[in-house]
Amino acid sequence: MTWHRDNPALYTKEKEEVEAYFPDLHFVVENDVVYVRGSFPLIFEGKILDRYSVELQFPRNHPAGLPAVRETGGRIPHHNDRHVNPADGTACVLIPDERWRLWPAGAPLIKFLIGPLHSFFLAQTMVEEGEPWPFSQWEHGARGIFQYYRELLKTSNLRVITTYLDYLAAKHVKGHWPCPCGSGSKVRDCHFGQIKDLRDKISRKDARNSLTALKKAGSTAIEMTEAKPVAPDSARSQFS
Amino acid sequence: MTADEYLSQVLASQSLGDDSDEVKAMQKHRVEVEKLIRDTHEDTVLTIRYAGSKAKGTMNKESYDLDIISYVNSGDNTAGETLEDIYNNFKKTLGNKYSVEPKGSALRLKGCDPQNLGIDFHIDVVPGRFTDETKTDAYLYQSGGDKQRLKTNLDVHLDHVRDSGVIDAIRVAKLWRVRNSLPIRTFVLELAVIQLLEDKKKVTLSAQMKHFWTELRDNAANLTVEDPANPNGNDLSICLDQGLKSQLAAAAKRTLDQIESSGWEAVFGKIEKQEKTARVEILRQAATVAMPSRPWLPEA
Repeated sequence: MTWHRDNPALYTKEKEEVEAYFPDLHFVVENDVVYVRGSFPLIFEGKILDRYSVELQFPRNHPAGLPAVRETGGRIPHHNDRHVNPADGTACVLIPDERWRLWPAGAPLIKFLIGPLHSFFLAQTMVEEGEPWPFSQWEHGARGIFQYYRELLKTSNLRVITTYLDYLAAKHVKGHWPCPCGSGSKVRDCHFGQIKDLRDKISRKDARNSLTALKKAGSTAIEMTEAKPVAPDSARSQFS
Repeated sequence: MTADEYLSQVLASQSLGDDSDEVKAMQKHRVEVEKLIRDTHEDTVLTIRYAGSKAKGTMNKESYDLDIISYVNSGDNTAGETLEDIYNNFKKTLGNKYSVEPKGSALRLKGCDPQNLGIDFHIDVVPGRFTDETKTDAYLYQSGGDKQRLKTNLDVHLDHVRDSGVIDAIRVAKLWRVRNSLPIRTFVLELAVIQLLEDKKKVTLSAQMKHFWTELRDNAANLTVEDPANPNGNDLSICLDQGLKSQLAAAAKRTLDQIESSGWEAVFGKIEKQEKTARVEILRQAATVAMPSRPWLPEA
């Protein structure tokens, strides 16, 4: 089963909301996969600044998963520097671990369109005009993940970051486990509240994927780190 | 502003002059494409010409392409024995410089080097072979559909559209197709517009468009079009099946409802012309209120 048949009310609601706001975007079901296709306008103060031909392909587990976004007009080069995957032309609008801030799981699709998708294409237009990326950009791959967690957790310590990710990816976090911050305290006496909050925001799957990417890249790939070993490895080894 | 003034603004905003960046880029590619084909098939006498919306005067900025027909002489087998061979040989030739996407009888050219991978150059090369020495009718290979061979005549097509008297309506209909993601082939849409407006050439553009959409809304199921270059030979019904007709009818109804409830501006939006510096300034302002969202890429 797929989401539009599992939850026809959600499909109807999303379709009505999106088509009311964006009359040039249309829902299409092909081979049991839901797509939104059409002309996506960049709107500012009621004026259309630009338009992109787009296709959004929804995963079967929408709204849990992120849609695959493609610019179908052949306008944006399929290039890493433009955040479009050269292999399949998919655009990487956001880093999944940051989804909670931009388009929380379960939020209506329209929020994605007027939020991160609009910002993505606005940025593309500005780059076309020779402007810098207006909201900055994450580095690619594991470096971007590291960059994100460095800002989120306010540490450059790769070991601390991977330990946090271990805790976010774990099925449960026990209070007697050592705190990932490396203080030596038990987590219940230290950053338990922060970890609980992050576990509510970042899915275990996304945390696991990020952890895998960081481990695969290793510290050599994370050259920007100013690592100082502050946390013992024991915490991570329990949950790896 | 009247409906016709509005449509006139819409068309003006969509026009692509010969000095536009888009047309200049296409012309540059056209020179490269012609050289590539001629150099590779130097033993073949080729007729290479512009066709499509550039030749018909129906180009729109939002969706444009340049058709380059590339026909070999009748009886000339140097570029390939069969039509399929010619098609595939041209595809191979163009593949040395472009990413080539087969598209019916045409070959769509896209960027293939890392800097412009995926960029659509809006160029379709249409290989074919003249049917005889008069160099009028030509056979094209058809990669999809029942028949592998399609008989056509470029000049008949061009004249049919250019002399239709409804060029502006065709341009509006083409923009409408893009905005509504309607999977109707350009030529079939052009034929439909010309046919449905046969008796409406003297009325205003807004009246033409209302008539066109009303006909589609009410009678799309009965709509049939004929290829003027081969009325009995080419069956265009496969390009206009019942599924597509339903989509056309639904989109036409939606458009007429929009005009009725919110006026013409609801159909294609407000038209604003901006100078480059003003445009950048507005983009910057838009960015200050947009959700700050940083793009990423899973693997570099």
